[in-house]
Formats: sequence, C-alpha cells, structure tokens
Amino acid sequence: MSPNPVTARMELMAQQVAERVVALVLDAIDIDALLDRIDVEKLIDRVDVEKVVERVDVERIIERVDVQKIIERVDVNAIIGELDIDALVEQTELGAIIAHSTTGILSEVLDVIRAQGVGLDDFCFRWANRLVGRKVTDWPKGPPLLVEQEAPS
Amino acid sequence: MTSVPTAPPSKMTIGRQGNYAGAVSRLAAFAADVGISWGLFTAAVALLSVATQLFGGTTVSLTHHQILAIVAVAIWEFLYFSYSWAVSGKTVGMALLGLQVVTAEGGRMTARQAALRTLGLVLCFLTLGIGFLGILFQRNRRGLQDFVAGTSVVYSWDARAARLRFMSHTEFSKQRHAK
Repeated sequence: MSPNPVTARMELMAQQVAERVVALVLDAIDIDALLDRIDVEKLIDRVDVEKVVERVDVERIIERVDVQKIIERVDVNAIIGELDIDALVEQTELGAIIAHSTTGILSEVLDVIRAQGVGLDDFCFRWANRLVGRKVTDWPKGPPLLVEQEAPS
Repeated sequence: MTSVPTAPPSKMTIGRQGNYAGAVSRLAAFAADVGISWGLFTAAVALLSVATQLFGGTTVSLTHHQILAIVAVAIWEFLYFSYSWAVSGKTVGMALLGLQVVTAEGGRMTARQAALRTLGLVLCFLTLGIGFLGILFQRNRRGLQDFVAGTSVVYSWDARAARLRFMSHTEFSKQRHAK
C-alpha cells in the first residue's frame, strides 16, 4: 500500500469497488451456461499430460506419505472378514497349486465317496420325511456348539 | 486310474462340517467297521493259531468252541467300537466316511458315553433295527444308541480341502490337455 495517506485511501476505495464489482459480475454470470459452452474435450486435448507428469516429483510425494500411518488406519480384519475365500480360491490357481502338492488318488477317491454319501444322506432324509408328510426346513443343522443356530422364523 | 469321475459339489459339501450326518454315510461307515473289525479279529486268531503251533505244537481254532467264539467276538467288537469312540470320537469306518460322534451339544464324548453307545448299538439290533429309524426321521438324526449315550453324529471331513484337491485335479488336467 502507498505511504501517501490520500493515495492509500484511494487504493483502498478502488479495491473495495473492485471487490464489489467482481461479486456483482460473478452473481450475474450463469456458470452452468458458461460451462456448457466450453468444449471440455478440446481443452483436455490441449493439455500435455506428459509434461504435467514430468513436472510432478513423484518420489518427493511418496517420501511425504506416512505408509505406516495408513496401514494402522486400515482394518485388515474387516477386509479379511469380507473376503469370500471360496470364490477367491475358485478364481485363482493358487489353491489348486497348493493342494496339488498334497493330493493323492486315495484322498480324491475318499472325497468322492464322502460327497456321494452326503448327497445320498440328504436324498434319503428328504424322502423319508416327505413320506410321513413333514417339513424339515427349520430343523437344526447340527449340534449347538458346532453349528450356528438359526433364529426361529 | 487317472481321473476322478465326479466332483464334491461345493454347495453340497462346503459348510457341512459339524452338520448332523445322515443314514447312508453312517450305514456305509458301519459296514466298513464291521468288515475291518472282523478282518482284524480273523487275522488275530490266525496269528494266535500260528504262534501256538510254532511254540506249543497245538493249533487254536474257535470253530469247535462256538460259545467261546461268540464271547470273544462280542468282547472284541465292544472294545473296537467303544475304544475308538472314546479315543477320537470315530472308528476307522467313520474316519473313512468323514464322520464323528460328539455329545448332543457338539462337545467331545467321554469314555462312559462311548461304552454306552456301543451297548446302545446292541440294543438297536435287539429291536430288529427299529432303533436306527431315528436317524431317518428324528430332527437331530439320532438313533436309539445316540439317545442312550447322549450323543449325535456329525460330518467332520474338511470339505474345503477336498474342494481344493478336486480343483487342483481339474486345473492340472486342463494344463495337461493344453500341452
């Protein structure tokens, strides 16, 4: 600001006028209409992204990031809890590779026998109860200590 | 033998660990146990016979001592089932079929319960098999032997590992075919 009190006062007045004018002009402008008229695609085309990236010091940004703090804020247990392990294993070869190292033809045969057994168990149980006209949908699946009990509907 | 005909369906098996086991698996396990225990008994008698012939010059045969044979078989079967259940909650046949005996609440069974369950099994046969019907119709799939001992039978095999084994099989088969 000027040391002369008169010019300083005028400068202050001019600044106040300018601020008032700018506010009035901004109020008068329809920003949405203005943005509609701007060809954003054209603007983006004109931006040299490569040049912008070159000017960014990524190393410096990374150095400023406190990774430990971020890790501490992440609830790993919640993430693991949300993971569908079965789906994950089915979508990756990892499980297959791990299992292949321990698999044997005997265990595969046993798996098949057991799985067939489970299927036949369900079949017989369903039909036996159908014969006596009972619905078994809300029956417990297992002992209370081993299976989470469903709330009665 | 290079291929397994069917997969353990994930919907059917995964998540069934701890569920009440059904009649077919239990019957198959029991049949396997009868075969195994009889095989062991016969082998033991044969070994005893050979040993007595080698060292004493006489042979041991239970064919001419029917009462003794019945008593010996009864004791052996009682020991086979009750000892297996007391130690791990499963017999060899049950281990093959992936089954386990637990208390009605799902806990580990005691030696007393194991002995009672074996006697309950005898009771089931004395009722001409009616005692087994509970496995088909009762809500907790418990037979008479389970009610006598306060137990129930559940699936105990690791179906997830089975699924992985199946997947590894199909995955590597695919890779072999691709080559």
